[in-house]
Amino acid sequence: MTLFDTLTKAAFDVAETGFQVAETVLKRAQTTVDTLVGVDRKPFTGAPVSGPPDLDNAVSDLANRAARIAYFTPMNPAAIPGAMQNLAGAAKAAFQNVDWRDPKTLALPLRLPLSVGTLLTDSGFRGLMTMEVIGAPRYLEFLKYSLQIFSEFPVYSTLEYRDLMRAQEKWLEGHPDDAVTRTELGRALVKVGNFREAAAQLERAAEGSAGNTRSTALHEAGLAAYNSGDYAKAVRLGCQALEANPENAPARMWVWLAAQKLGGYPEEVAESFRMEVKPGWDPTALQYEDISVRIGLDKTAGARGIVVIDYNNDGLPDVAIGAAHGGISLYRNNGDGTFADVSIESGLFDCTNVFGMSSGDYNNDGFPDILVCRLGFFGGMVELWRNNGDGTFTDVSNESGISCWGPCFSCSFVDYDNDGKLDIFVCTNLGGLFDRFIQNKLFHNNGDGTFTEVAEKAGIVTRWPSIGHSWGDYNNDGYPDLFLSHAIGPPQLFRNNGNGTFTDVTVEAGLDSPTLAFGSQWCDIDDDGWLDIIQYTWAIHEDVIHSLRHGEAPPEGYPTAVYRNNRNGTFTNINRELGVNQCWGSMSGNVADINNDGYPDIVLGNGGPLMDRIEPLVILENDGTKFHNVTFSAGLPFMGKGHGINCADLFGDGRLSILIATGGAYPGDLMTSSVFCPKERLGNYLAVKLYGTKSNRDAYGARLKLVAGGREQHRVLNGGSNFGCLPLQQHFGLGKLTKAESLEIWWPSGLRQRFENLSANQLVKITEGEELITG
Amino acid sequence: MNHSASSTSRQGIGLPIAGFSLPLARNQELAANVTLEEVLAGRKGALVVFWSGICAHCVRYDEYFNSFAATHPDVGFAAIASRLNETQAQMRQAIEERHLGFPVLLDADGAVARQFYAQQTPRCYLISAERTLIYRGAIDNFKMPGDPEYLEYLEPAIRSFLAGEPVARPETASFGCAIANVYYQLPKQL
Repeated sequence: MTLFDTLTKAAFDVAETGFQVAETVLKRAQTTVDTLVGVDRKPFTGAPVSGPPDLDNAVSDLANRAARIAYFTPMNPAAIPGAMQNLAGAAKAAFQNVDWRDPKTLALPLRLPLSVGTLLTDSGFRGLMTMEVIGAPRYLEFLKYSLQIFSEFPVYSTLEYRDLMRAQEKWLEGHPDDAVTRTELGRALVKVGNFREAAAQLERAAEGSAGNTRSTALHEAGLAAYNSGDYAKAVRLGCQALEANPENAPARMWVWLAAQKLGGYPEEVAESFRMEVKPGWDPTALQYEDISVRIGLDKTAGARGIVVIDYNNDGLPDVAIGAAHGGISLYRNNGDGTFADVSIESGLFDCTNVFGMSSGDYNNDGFPDILVCRLGFFGGMVELWRNNGDGTFTDVSNESGISCWGPCFSCSFVDYDNDGKLDIFVCTNLGGLFDRFIQNKLFHNNGDGTFTEVAEKAGIVTRWPSIGHSWGDYNNDGYPDLFLSHAIGPPQLFRNNGNGTFTDVTVEAGLDSPTLAFGSQWCDIDDDGWLDIIQYTWAIHEDVIHSLRHGEAPPEGYPTAVYRNNRNGTFTNINRELGVNQCWGSMSGNVADINNDGYPDIVLGNGGPLMDRIEPLVILENDGTKFHNVTFSAGLPFMGKGHGINCADLFGDGRLSILIATGGAYPGDLMTSSVFCPKERLGNYLAVKLYGTKSNRDAYGARLKLVAGGREQHRVLNGGSNFGCLPLQQHFGLGKLTKAESLEIWWPSGLRQRFENLSANQLVKITEGEELITG
Repeated sequence: MNHSASSTSRQGIGLPIAGFSLPLARNQELAANVTLEEVLAGRKGALVVFWSGICAHCVRYDEYFNSFAATHPDVGFAAIASRLNETQAQMRQAIEERHLGFPVLLDADGAVARQFYAQQTPRCYLISAERTLIYRGAIDNFKMPGDPEYLEYLEPAIRSFLAGEPVARPETASFGCAIANVYYQLPKQL
């Protein structure tokens, strides 16, 4: 560590302490004043369709709107009156629910500064943590990116983009030479898929500008050309963007992408504008083909969550995919290599705007139910859909008591108290830039179809925006512990005390390094019987492009973290030494032995919301000592924006297909889901399906130890959540081995069972406490 | 506003489709109701498209829809505007600004969209004269014509249908903007 690094770290620590002190003081003062005035603070549980319900949320709403207005206002003094008018309108809208006749309003002069103060400390704290991760030199760029994303989402998701574009067009009538605004108009047109008009606006913007503005306009024009299928033009415009700014890394990547469509770089592309994509070409025997159209799993656009379940208990894996702009698609496995879309008759079609998904049999009736959270950053209702056992599902969110509102990316089933009934966990992360924090929810299953929220009582309290999570028993005490993956900030590890409460052991576990992340997953990556953690990190675009060009992340980058369990309550991130050394915008991932060699591999779903942020689905193949990126060698395309990733044996033949739910955030960035199936099975396998009796029916939390060829393989069943959950059926690769010596099951109830001499290439079914059934 | 949707059993390819009776938006006024039977009248079938004046995806098919009646004289056409909270004024503005000549029916509360299990715009339903569902899904794979990867979905279905042949791909993904989204109900953002 250099002196500069030490000083920077010290400065961050001082600032962090300052924010913490200020926050504590302000929040205490706020609570005192609220108590004196008689303000009853209740979290809102439904969508705030009639505006912010209280002062704190009104202040947040105004701050979000103000940021949005600032972002969309041209940098010109002439635009100030319009911006002020918009700001006045925003204030009126934000405070529309303040009852000025209420005597409590008299305390507003005292409450308002405190509310603004807590908002500033909250936001400042998050900003500081982000700066620590991104680094001060790149922070401004990241801040601009965040401002763009969080300003635009509400505009595009509500389809208010026409108002925005009308305002831009009107401004340009009076300021036709404003290249920055014209570029923004062009970018807006790209985002809504009007590529031809976008290209015209962007090329015009480029004509009247220079430097970075010109480069941006030309790059975006190239993007429009690419999306119109005019790859030669995309190459030409991308090169012009690089002439205007040779540091425009996304432009370089898009020239490469367009050139691939043309069969390689055209001769006229200067050597200095070319790039080589280094990762993804490691040798592999894996060869995939996209079978989604052939098997009928191609009908979901803008997908997010994905689960593989046997919803009708016919022994065949079915697939449910949530969509950001539509309902859940439920695909029934016909048993002949095809799937039928039964979304409508199942009722799940009515479950719309789904992001996170999980499945679990919460009422132990033998049929998997579905839990969803909706709309990600935008905020939506959490819903529980009960499987009626007749092919249909019913929304039981209200009667079960789990109905709640919040920005939410992930949810899962877990039996945290090992009482045999699945509980529910929901991650409620940060929405807008200045949103107030909403705590995560832990719903305890009461056993009568209802749930009680107990997170705070159980000690699960966080100050970071949780976006992903995973349950796993890291200390082998028989109770699932909770790993929280935060969009911003360090992760958190909550140790399950076994009595319904949890203790935050993040610092003593050595997990207190901040990062930008999405999902996470407990798995035994080194098969030593102690669960490790994979935290799927989301890298900034520059670091991804650096990884593409150089084959590894820059030193300051954050590749997906692989935290090795040191078997003493601590963890060490060993990602780079394992070869997990490239940066991707990983929004999800999963771990499975996709090549049947006995070692768990990692599959990453990558991308980012901006139109120019597409990335491949990445396969990291494990050879027992290191991971190798074999994405392109295995025949996968440079494809898009991956959300849910699932690995499942769809045809019962030991080949694990990769299912990826794909789709972007903007209207012009829709894609359909894909299924990649290995052309052949590379090794022998053993599939195991558990049925809990005393434990929860799905056996979530169960641990499996297989010994084959003298080597141990470990699995844990969990109910998500990386935009979905893996199938209940556990898959072990055996390579050339034709049998496994033994299989041990450690059920959540505490029961341990052992079976010996299991032949390869079969599915074995084990009911808790009973004999093994083969076939 | 007077509108209704007649109920039917679960919808699917080859099964009967729901009927409707919806007002037509014509210039500044709403005309008398139009029924599915009227859209089908005298033709071999009809194309019903769930549509919105503010949907970014619908815009790219303006020309296609405008010329549909001329290019497909044997197939009736109706666009149904069902998007939650889309006002008549917004829709009329879109019709005028974009010179839309095709008939747009108002499904203000989304009842007909629900009856058709439509959640996104544009979503197409090709219906036979006997009111059987022949095809449902997208117009194409959302690539641009001229793109080497561009794939038409609807036109091959119409050609097969008119030729009396089975439709090779009777159901495709639905690309588009959501008809109902809780965010549409939130206060305007700007």
